[in-house]
Amino acid sequence: MSAMDLIKSMMVAASGLKAQSGRMRIIAENIANADSASRVPGGDPYQRQVPTFQQKLDREIGTHVVSLGRPVFDKSEFKLKYMPGHPGADENGYVKMPNVNGMVEAMDMREAQRSYEANLNLIQASRRMISQTIEILRK
Amino acid sequence: MTIGTLPIIEMMKQRMQWLTQRQQVLAQNVSNADTPGYAARDLKALDFGAMVKRSGPVLAPVATQAAHIGSPAMGPGVGLRPGQATGGQIVKKPDFETTPSGNSVVLEEQMIKVAETQMDYQAVTGLYSKSLGLIRIALGRS
Repeated sequence: MSAMDLIKSMMVAASGLKAQSGRMRIIAENIANADSASRVPGGDPYQRQVPTFQQKLDREIGTHVVSLGRPVFDKSEFKLKYMPGHPGADENGYVKMPNVNGMVEAMDMREAQRSYEANLNLIQASRRMISQTIEILRK
Repeated sequence: MTIGTLPIIEMMKQRMQWLTQRQQVLAQNVSNADTPGYAARDLKALDFGAMVKRSGPVLAPVATQAAHIGSPAMGPGVGLRPGQATGGQIVKKPDFETTPSGNSVVLEEQMIKVAETQMDYQAVTGLYSKSLGLIRIALGRS
């Protein structure tokens, strides 16, 4: 019974791992598309995605776990770059570039990394507690 | 009388149950460390005094004759019944700070709590095997 509870907490932490790795995927998409401009004149380039998290009740284990929600678009403005020869340039020669900022992505990535580590830490702690319980039997 | 109904074993069982439940609450906090509007939670601290009181005087005097003077401690043993050990109560416990998104989980604090829970758990399991050792000595099988 008590070991079951610890397994539950491992499952909750695992949902955190999954959510954070999904966040990493979105960050990777953003970084990979940092230069994806439109090919039609005046068209919109790649729009930065923001990962969302939501807590949700897992009826199987009876606790709230975390899940990655649908990513939403970053509403900040696109950067303009003067490139008259580009196929996506408007009549003044400006091309709209994605609203991806490398610094912001790097910060976000580091945060995802830290949260991932925190969840891993919890899984390790729970595992240790389970093995300590089993250890009683060996004495 | 089985080993499981000994007050000390019963109390340790309750403590372990509380610690596992706390671990679960902490896991929930950590996994929701980036969920907007999530408030950090914790378990209400286990009241040792109340635990002792509940598992209190197992050897209570009993009035067997009408002439006996009564006392409030009388009556059947007030020890914990098996399976009575209840888990803790989950309370919203604001952490050190709240982010603009309304999330109040501080990972560092949660990590400290996890380490604390783990250490307490280790202490209880150690205590448990020591108690069993005592019984074993009493049985002359050390």
